[in-house]
Amino acid sequence: MFNRLYNSLFNNLISKVVFTGLLTITLLASPQLSAKGVYQSGPDFIAEAFAPHQPEADVLWFNDNIRQQAEKILGHRVLGLRVRYHHSAGKSAWILNEIGKEMPITIGVVIDQGKISSVKILAYRESRGGEVRYPAYMAQYQGATLTDRYKLDKSIDGITGATLSVWAVNKVAALALYYHSQVMSQPESTK
Amino acid sequence: MKSSNSVKRNIIWHRRLGLSIFLLLIFLAISGFALNHSPALKLNKVSLSNSWLLSWYGLEKPLIQGFKLDDKWLYENGNNLLYVDTQAVAPCSPPLLSVAESPNILFALCADSVHLLTENGQLLESFSQLDGLPVNTRAISAADNSLYLITDSAVLEFNPDSLALQPAEIDSASLNALTAQLPVPESLEQQLENTGPSISLETVILDLHSGRFFGQFGVLVMDIVGLLICILSITGLFAWINRLRQIKQ
Repeated sequence: MFNRLYNSLFNNLISKVVFTGLLTITLLASPQLSAKGVYQSGPDFIAEAFAPHQPEADVLWFNDNIRQQAEKILGHRVLGLRVRYHHSAGKSAWILNEIGKEMPITIGVVIDQGKISSVKILAYRESRGGEVRYPAYMAQYQGATLTDRYKLDKSIDGITGATLSVWAVNKVAALALYYHSQVMSQPESTK
Repeated sequence: MKSSNSVKRNIIWHRRLGLSIFLLLIFLAISGFALNHSPALKLNKVSLSNSWLLSWYGLEKPLIQGFKLDDKWLYENGNNLLYVDTQAVAPCSPPLLSVAESPNILFALCADSVHLLTENGQLLESFSQLDGLPVNTRAISAADNSLYLITDSAVLEFNPDSLALQPAEIDSASLNALTAQLPVPESLEQQLENTGPSISLETVILDLHSGRFFGQFGVLVMDIVGLLICILSITGLFAWINRLRQIKQ
């Protein structure tokens, strides 16, 4: 009786181990899991964000204050003298790049009335950590606003093995909110 | 008598072995310590580009070529960075295909993006393939106050303010696009840092530690040193045991 129970448990354990091993090897070998790729072009992202309306394109010129704050949010130097965005009726869309581990991630952020309405990974160039692009993860950013300390007011769950990519998305989301606040506070003539 | 001879022989060989490898032992200890603490010491961030070292590793410093616009040199430095004279201004996937100049703005066309620069060489913004730059763009040219992107199949007028593209009715042969690179002056090349291939200090220390730096011969030497360390510890243990015996007697 004991032997039979032992054999059954042992065989069950062996088959589970073999199954898990085979599953891991299959997943690791699967080319579909390679996160690298362009998922959406910039124009398509903008069109989707404002559909069915046609947004206006504009640029935000960096003054010393904006540059300083942007660099504080990102934690490094900001390239360029201006950043391009699209807007319509209090809504703005930003396409920004930020380094994940070694390569830049291109992230699209849509902000409506000072709150994030969507975040999307448009291009991911690292070989690992691409789980951040999944809609279920990106949904966490919906409704997030900027605190007085220029951080997101929502706690965003991390992803094991994609910590640097998560940080990059968090920084870009906060930066887009900051840029949005700047363009909304500027008089029309100076935008 | 026999026992006394063997004790003496053991000590002599222990000394000989110790003397023959003590320098290597010290090096192995220091390099091992450095490798163990490589992240803290940031050894992988120290890039070595000494020409002798590069040639030892079979790497060559590439010839840096670029374009001269007015008195400025624009070039890709071999490490995916666009330089204006000695300043890195933007990421640039090689090759740097073409450059152009319109009033107040310089344009640099890399493999996957156009960079818009001020006259002083500061980056204004970039327009990449993700933003709508055609994949097969091969040159950029300014003519009659307009800017044109030349692709394999068409010529497009490029608006540097809105970054909009529209088909242009102009023959690409009539546009004088700058596409032929020239070697950058030696005086400029000498001022540059971090250009071309480099090897991290961590790699060099690791290769020295394992002996791979000197090829198969080095690995064999390190194997022998490892073996000698084992023998050294055994002869040392014998010497210590014999000494204990002598003290007891």
